[in-house]
Amino acid sequence: MTQAIKINNLKYTYDDKDTVFDDFNLEINAGQWLALVGHNGSGKSTLAKLILGLIEADNGTITVFGEQLRIDTVHHVREQIGMVFQNPDNQFVGATVADDVAFGLENKEMLSSDMPNVIDEALTIVGMQDFKDREPHMLSGGQKQRVALASVLALQPKIIILDEATAMLDPDGRATVMATLQDLKQRFGSELTLITITHDMNEAMLADRVVVINDGQLILDGAPSEVFSQYDVMHHNGLELPFVGELAVRLDPKPDGYLDERELIKWLSDLKK
Amino acid sequence: MAIRFEKVNFSYGAGTTLAQSILHDVTLEMPTGQVTAIVGQTGSGKSTLIQHINGLLKPTSGRVTIDNFELTHHTKEKELVKLRKSVGIAFQFPENQLFANTVLEDVMYAPVNFGATKSEAKLAAEHALTRTGVVRELWGKSPFELSGGQMRRVAMAGTLSSDPSVVVMDEPAAGLDPKGQGELLQLVLELKKLGKTIVIISHQMDHVIAVADHVVVMHEGRVVAQESPQILFNRDITWFKTMKLDLPKAGQLAEKLRDEGITLSRRPLTLNELADLINTEVSHE
Repeated sequence: MTQAIKINNLKYTYDDKDTVFDDFNLEINAGQWLALVGHNGSGKSTLAKLILGLIEADNGTITVFGEQLRIDTVHHVREQIGMVFQNPDNQFVGATVADDVAFGLENKEMLSSDMPNVIDEALTIVGMQDFKDREPHMLSGGQKQRVALASVLALQPKIIILDEATAMLDPDGRATVMATLQDLKQRFGSELTLITITHDMNEAMLADRVVVINDGQLILDGAPSEVFSQYDVMHHNGLELPFVGELAVRLDPKPDGYLDERELIKWLSDLKK
Repeated sequence: MAIRFEKVNFSYGAGTTLAQSILHDVTLEMPTGQVTAIVGQTGSGKSTLIQHINGLLKPTSGRVTIDNFELTHHTKEKELVKLRKSVGIAFQFPENQLFANTVLEDVMYAPVNFGATKSEAKLAAEHALTRTGVVRELWGKSPFELSGGQMRRVAMAGTLSSDPSVVVMDEPAAGLDPKGQGELLQLVLELKKLGKTIVIISHQMDHVIAVADHVVVMHEGRVVAQESPQILFNRDITWFKTMKLDLPKAGQLAEKLRDEGITLSRRPLTLNELADLINTEVSHE
C-alpha cells in the first residue's frame, strides 16, 4: 500500500511556549478517507498547516508520497495537496465561477486552450457546471464550497484536505458538500486521498478511518464504528457521537458496540419481534 | 422589551425598477423576557427581519415597535442611536468583526461609542467577558491570537458590554464544537434569566427546542407560523416538507422508525424523550 502521508516524531511548539505536538506519529495510506476530529483548539488545523508547510515543525519529519517536507521540497509537496478552508467567502478571486477555477490553472501555467475542458470537467464533478458564468458571491455557502472544491480538483491533487469546510454551511449546504465528497471517493478511488478536519461526527462517520486528537495527542484511531464505540473517551475529549450513537447509549437494553442508523433501526425492529 | 412587527414590507431598491422584495406583510410579536427563535431555510428573509430590530434596515412600509420606539420608513438616522443602545446584535461569525489591539479594547468599543467613560466601559467590558467565559489571562491578548471558540466569546461579549435589553444573535453556535455549542446555549438561558429579550436565528432545531419559548417560521419572506416549539414541532410531517424545515433530530429518527413499522405514541423532540419512549414502548412492551 502506497503511503500518502507519513508523520514521524513530530514536535511543534506554538509561540515558543505552548507545545501543540510532541512525538506525534501518523501514517495515511493513499486512497484513504481520513476524518481528523477534535474539539476547537485540539490542534487539528495546526496539523493541516504543518502538512502543507505553512508552518514549520520544531522536530520530526513529514513525508508526502515519499518526499520529505523541507524548504527545498515544500513547493513540490504543496502541488500535490489541495486545500479547502472553512470560510466560503475568503476563497474567491474570479469574477465568474469559471474564472475562479481558471485562476489556479493560470498559476500552473496551463495553456489557455486547454483550460475550458479542465474547468468544465472539474465543475461537472461537483455538480456546478450550470453555474460557470455566475458571480461567485451570488452563490449559496454550499455552492461556494463546491466551487472551491472544483478549483482544487482542476489542479489534480493526490491529496485534498478540507479544514472545517462545512462548519459555516446550513444543513442543506452541508449535505450537498458531503454528497460531493462521497462522489469524489467513488470516482477517484485509490487515486485520491481525502482528509476532512471536523468536529461534526455525522461528517466523520462517512470516512474510512477516524483519528481523534486532543492536545496534540492521538487519542483514538480506527474505523468509524470502532471509534464511535468509545463513548466515554469521545465525551472526555469534548466530542459527541453521531446522534444514533448518543441514542444507543441511553437505551435499555443497549446494542453491543456502535450501530449506524440503518443498523440501529434494524436492531430495534428485531427487538420488537 | 416587547418587539412587534405590523404589516412590515421590505424591498431592496424600493421605488426603482430593480426593486427586490424580501419581506411581505410580516406581522409578529417577540415576547418580552423570552427567547424567540427565527427559523426557515436560507433566503427566507430571517437576516433581513432581524436587521429591522435595531434599525439597520427600515421597513419599506409598515412599522416595527421595540418597546416604545417606533421604526418606520420615516424614522431619522439620528433617532436610531437610542434604539441601537438597547438592541445588541451579534451577526453570523461575529469573530470576523473583531478589530482592536486587545480583547479588552475590542469589548470596550460599544460602551465607549454610546458615551460611557473609559473606566465605566472597562468595567462593563470586564463584566461581559466574565459572563461569556473569557478568562482574564486573555484580556490583554490580541483577539487574533485566540482560537475560534474564544474569538466567538469575545465577539459575544462585545455585543453584551453596552448592556442591551434586547439581544439578537444570528446563528450564534454555528461552527463551534459540541462543548462550545452547549456553552453558548447556556449563555442564552443565563441572559434570559437576567430579564433580557432574546432573538436567535438558528438552523439547528435541536438548539431551538433547547432554548426557545417562541418560534417564528419564515418562508419566502412571509411568516408562516409563530407559536411555541411544542406546538410547532407537533405539526404534520408534510408541513415540514413543504416549508423545507427539519424536525429536531429525535423527531426525524422517530419518523424513520415509523417507516419501518415502529410507531411511538407521540413525537419525541429531544434525545432523552426519544430514548425514554423507545425504552418503554419498544424494548419493554
